[in-house]
Amino acid sequence: MSKDTQHAALQNYLDELLDDAVPEMQVEPALSRVAQSNPVQSVLHIDPSYKELTAPALTLPQLALREPLISEEQISRLPVSIGRLDTQDEDDVQSSAVASVETEAELGKVSWADSPFECLLFDVAGLALAVPLSALGTIYRFEADELTPLFGQPDWFLGILATPQGNLKVLETARWVMPERYTAGSRDNLKYVISINGCDWGLAVHQVRHAIRLQPDQVKWRTQRSQRAWLAGTVIEHMCALLDLEVLAQLITVKDKPHCAISAVTGKL
Amino acid sequence: MKNSSAHSADDPILQWVTFRLDNETYGINVMQVQEVLRYSEIAPVPGAPSYVLGIINLRGNVVTVIDTRQRFGLEPAEIGDNTRVVIIEVDKQVIGILVDSVAEVVYLRQSEMETAPNVGNKDAAKFIQGVCNKNGELLILVELEKMLNEDEWSELDSL
Repeated sequence: MSKDTQHAALQNYLDELLDDAVPEMQVEPALSRVAQSNPVQSVLHIDPSYKELTAPALTLPQLALREPLISEEQISRLPVSIGRLDTQDEDDVQSSAVASVETEAELGKVSWADSPFECLLFDVAGLALAVPLSALGTIYRFEADELTPLFGQPDWFLGILATPQGNLKVLETARWVMPERYTAGSRDNLKYVISINGCDWGLAVHQVRHAIRLQPDQVKWRTQRSQRAWLAGTVIEHMCALLDLEVLAQLITVKDKPHCAISAVTGKL
Repeated sequence: MKNSSAHSADDPILQWVTFRLDNETYGINVMQVQEVLRYSEIAPVPGAPSYVLGIINLRGNVVTVIDTRQRFGLEPAEIGDNTRVVIIEVDKQVIGILVDSVAEVVYLRQSEMETAPNVGNKDAAKFIQGVCNKNGELLILVELEKMLNEDEWSELDSL
């Protein structure tokens, strides 16, 4: 696949994400790009006793943030062929879950974005994602052999990870955020699990990058969340999708409510 | 279901027999376990449901043996030296479940048990009563009553 084709594939995907974005909100040139302190370490609790976490991604960026966060190499890894999941499959709970979560009325605005906010950038199957630091818990190293799978669970449930903070249910993020592009290889080389604050669920991701500081007007916000309710918006400057973890947690736990303190998540956001 | 012992009314201690299946450890309430047998020839039953391996003769009584791996949605495995048939009693019905091996009896406080994820639509997910960290590993607690539905229990009874 040529470089142009690879760029086109990535651009198409981001275009798809933007389909539901609100047209009236314009993306303006960024005024503030990066926190100069280390917001990741100050906000996230990275447990030193669990696994040595030496990922350079957790140190704050010295890089020039005008550069796209998705490298040429990452672009080259984007799947060429798309394995579409059967949306009627019982494992694909998103469609039914979305219906159960209050969407239209509440999802248009996110309280944490009233003022500049810190986000952590990470990669899932070649896609750069951003989440507000306030919604994140702890980062653990992903070790497949330390996960305990449970029979009878959906394919996106990877298993239970025992941590010093308790058992964490691990979600295969790629199946949630881009099921239409999920391939068998998307599960390979997962390296970290990022727990959601106030919740016993964690997201399995391929790479943790660094924190960025976003101005609200840097984000192309969505107000209609009939599809991809977990997507708060996109940040063109960083070529990434901004997740609304509150909604994601609701979607995950719509059948698992007793075990997840959604209210705690909500309160943090 | 009665507790095997009760150190505290608020936080009783339960005993669980643990067994291995596909490299994971499962627990079943000791009060439901009658005995553990070495693997012996299981006679297939024509027309039996797919989850039924067959029957064995247990001191003159016919006991139906369930294919636990199949029931849990796991891949089949070869019979080995450690393979066991755990004879259990559920609602006065005695059946056997085939497992890779039987490990030990562990004591768990009620408070140590955590609920399992409740996100699965598959029938097998209903069998999981909870999970518990014990001796550095996660123990999956199985609710035997739910291994089969009412019709299936009746079907077994008629075999």
